[in-house]
Amino acid sequence: MPRVLLVEDEEHLAAGIRFNLELDGYEVETIADGLRALERLVPAPDATAPGLPIDLVVLDVMLPGLDGFQIVERMREAGNYTAVLMLTAKGLPEDVVEGLEAGADDYLPKPFDLPVLLARVKGLIRRREWARGATGGPVRVGDSLVDFANLELRKGEAVTRLTLLEAMLLKLLVERRGQVVTKAEILEKVWNLNPDTETRAVDNFVMRLRRHLEKDARNPQLLETVRGVGYRLSDELSPR
Amino acid sequence: MSEVRQLSRSRRPKWHYLAVGVVLIVVALALTVAWGILAAPETAGPRAVAPARVIAYFFGSVLFLLLIAGLVLIVLLLLREVRLNERQSNFVSAVTHELKTPVASLKLYLETLEYRDVPSERRAEFYRTMRQDIERLNATINNVLNAAMYTDRPVAEPRPLDLARLARRAAELTLTRHQLPKTAIRFDGPESLRVAGDVQALETAVLNLLDNAVKYSKGDKLLIEIEVWGDMDGQAHVRVRDHGIGISRTHLPFIFTRFYRIGAEVRRSRTGTGLGLFIVRAIVKGHRGTITVDSPGPDRGSSFTISLPGLLEPEAEVDAKPEAAHA
Repeated sequence: MPRVLLVEDEEHLAAGIRFNLELDGYEVETIADGLRALERLVPAPDATAPGLPIDLVVLDVMLPGLDGFQIVERMREAGNYTAVLMLTAKGLPEDVVEGLEAGADDYLPKPFDLPVLLARVKGLIRRREWARGATGGPVRVGDSLVDFANLELRKGEAVTRLTLLEAMLLKLLVERRGQVVTKAEILEKVWNLNPDTETRAVDNFVMRLRRHLEKDARNPQLLETVRGVGYRLSDELSPR
Repeated sequence: MSEVRQLSRSRRPKWHYLAVGVVLIVVALALTVAWGILAAPETAGPRAVAPARVIAYFFGSVLFLLLIAGLVLIVLLLLREVRLNERQSNFVSAVTHELKTPVASLKLYLETLEYRDVPSERRAEFYRTMRQDIERLNATINNVLNAAMYTDRPVAEPRPLDLARLARRAAELTLTRHQLPKTAIRFDGPESLRVAGDVQALETAVLNLLDNAVKYSKGDKLLIEIEVWGDMDGQAHVRVRDHGIGISRTHLPFIFTRFYRIGAEVRRSRTGTGLGLFIVRAIVKGHRGTITVDSPGPDRGSSFTISLPGLLEPEAEVDAKPEAAHA
């Protein structure tokens, strides 16, 4: 049974979401405070009872103690790559980007539709499987080796952890190697956002991938920008 | 670490203005000094200095200093503007949160009732939750409307009213609203204390103070004292005191400012829009009164005192007016 950690300080919302998630067969844990949520997600090394592993975090942004953006950021810094769905009353595009850049995997503005929330929760747990899904072992991109199953990128000795979104973006580009993938398609398939959303999130994530993959991220050889259209991953196995 | 970043993120624009201003002021000062030094060999030279030149130099310096003063003033004004802007955007985000949260909750519960098979005992609980959400929504709307309605302008038609009764009613209403035991608010004052004013506005002001007292009290220490008295100078006073979280010295001077809230919006643990005390002050000013606040420090409670001029004699009854009209 998938386990969901619900971090929400508004009692009414927490109770309502919990009721629905439990009906859908999830185990739900609720925490109303940012610092305590971080403790649960990134336990101190000497913690006595680390708690059961969590499959998905539903995270509010405005929280006492520590805000949602900071929680995701610190989770990722500490190497916790559990899927995160952010909920917030502020539906501004820059908040979406801030949330996604901090490392959230999906984003839902309040007030949300109940069926949408449930679909996203289900989708995130499934998407994680998709990103990790069978691509027949590690894939070579330039001089790196990408292991989607473990969300890892190896470059010689160095191992970089990929976030779920980074992995999904890279997987999409790998699956379509040599072809141009439009920004709209990326927004829809990876971010689950309306293709017309005005955001720099894709560009920022492409920059992040370049930093992982390219010798010189400013002068990309592998992951090219096709001006006005989208991005293309070179289908040559090693850099030119 | 990220605490620091959070701060610098919101303050960055201010530092830009400040940096430009400071650089300009330094340049201007350097120019003045350089000018003085360049002119010095001639002035310090032989006595034969043309008086016209001294006068020109004098006036030039004065004008330059005025210029620098102007620059300083502009920088200060800009800073104020930037700060107001920051508060305003905080307000927008607080109000957005205050409006959207209950709406989100209402929507969630409605959809749950619509799509799910909810057992009847849970359903009753859901209805209760939804009613509370509507009350919260209504309170926020009232707050925003009151902030627009009550300005510092004097009350148009002050009428005689009983401040003691008003305070008692406000206390009772607060007890009901927050479902508190009768002992949570202690009233101390005369049976009746008459002043002239706008009864609805003053009730809003006292209710806001009481609401704050409840909001910033800790569960087990919930004791609020409301005190009403008149003094020899013909002033009427209402004091609301709590034993809650208190206010630190650094925030005290600002708490009546519109949109001012303590702490970063995104890490807020208490609901609110930053309008409550602003409304109280506007109402009190409209009555030519004053409001003062005192807090011994964090966790040691706080007390707010409204002082209104124009205490009326007990015998100055409501029917005094019709009699005057007869005469």
